Amino acid sequence: MPEITSRRPLEETGADPVVERVIGARAGLTALLSEAEQARRLREEAADPADGAVCAWNHFENIPTFYNWNNRPR
Amino acid sequence: MVVRRRQFTGMRGIAPVPAYVVMQPTTLCNLDCAYCYLPFRGEDRRMPVGVAAAVAQPVNRWARDGRFSVVWHGGEPLATGREHFAALLAPFEPAVEHHVQTNATLIDDAWCEFFATHRIRVSVSVDGPRERNADRVTRGGRPAYDRIVRGVEALRRHGIGFSALCVVSDPTPARASELYAYFLDLGCDVLGINIEETEGINTRGNAHPEDDVTGFWAALVAAWRRDPRIHLREVEWSLRYTRAVLDGEADSVLPRQLDPIPTIAHDGSVVLLSPELAGFRDARYGDFSSGNVLATPLPEIIAGAATTRWVAEFLDGVEACRVSCPYFGFCGGAHAANRYFEHGRFDTTETDHCRNSKIRLLEGVLRHARDHQPSPA
Repeated sequence: MPEITSRRPLEETGADPVVERVIGARAGLTALLSEAEQARRLREEAADPADGAVCAWNHFENIPTFYNWNNRPR
Repeated sequence: MVVRRRQFTGMRGIAPVPAYVVMQPTTLCNLDCAYCYLPFRGEDRRMPVGVAAAVAQPVNRWARDGRFSVVWHGGEPLATGREHFAALLAPFEPAVEHHVQTNATLIDDAWCEFFATHRIRVSVSVDGPRERNADRVTRGGRPAYDRIVRGVEALRRHGIGFSALCVVSDPTPARASELYAYFLDLGCDVLGINIEETEGINTRGNAHPEDDVTGFWAALVAAWRRDPRIHLREVEWSLRYTRAVLDGEADSVLPRQLDPIPTIAHDGSVVLLSPELAGFRDARYGDFSSGNVLATPLPEIIAGAATTRWVAEFLDGVEACRVSCPYFGFCGGAHAANRYFEHGRFDTTETDHCRNSKIRLLEGVLRHARDHQPSPA
């Protein structure tokens, strides 16, 4: 399924194609999200909160080098 | 099913208080990577302690109100030397968290002790196995890989957890599993994948076939899923968005306002929103700076951000993304540096970086999910 390449102003279409695609993948995503949650718990248990590279495993925005989706340093 | 679109409400205007500041202790880097965007990386222009002290004033205040970090970014920050680095750290109160993004080549036992003493969190730049690091070379043009690995070994010897940033120049499905296996072996806690960008003085083109890039991200999700010990930045963000969508909370993901991300250059000049623009000049936009902390307090510079010509134009660009791009709720708008270095302006929209690192990332995660639906019981 190709990515959405139309750049018509979205008000014209009224639809939200990306949200539709996410919802369309619900079954696979739900399984993946569940496994990711379990993986986060295991990483949290393994991490040393004082010395780890991550400040807070359940809150990854607290990794400043990686933070800022809108424009992270790189 | 047709889902009616709501306009996403995040990313409106610039927040008055950042989450962190980026500091450039020196312009110098001991490496000369082919894709690097930084000018002046052959010159050792060091940050005076007075600049750090001026930044520390508001930062110490912000850190009392909540978590706040300083990211020491280069050049190569360790090229500053421990003595001067310690002098730059001194004005900051203990509550401030410090992070360093390093090429690792200078890390030895003494640096590891320095990191422990000053509680500095470390992120290493390495592009995967030896043969994938051909672009990472010394000033003499020799491969830097062995020196990078020696630095990482020192971190491991001292039990210092670290993150890794990896630049990928040829995103394909085959590359993804190779890279993830490498970083599992390297022992990093966190991994960020940066598909190479055309920016700064790196003018190499960065358009790739859609299917290659989407396939790269899908394969990376598959590799990660088999052994998810590493916190993989791009996967975590994508899953956070998809979970919000499935929960009917898609508009909750983006920050309400843009973080100003002040980058403090070695001389105290401040470039907002885009560290990659520091050190550049343009006939239309000048030097991209919004002031200098030696003359104006940082909070005042941030408060006046929209009076900087390019920043105002960029805010128009974010609004253009909001109304035109179906991926805005996931992305938050094309990054400033990519707009400028790809299009020459800030009020344009979709970039190659958007396609490679946002759109095809989400599509890759969705492709993986569609291809891995649970079997009926």
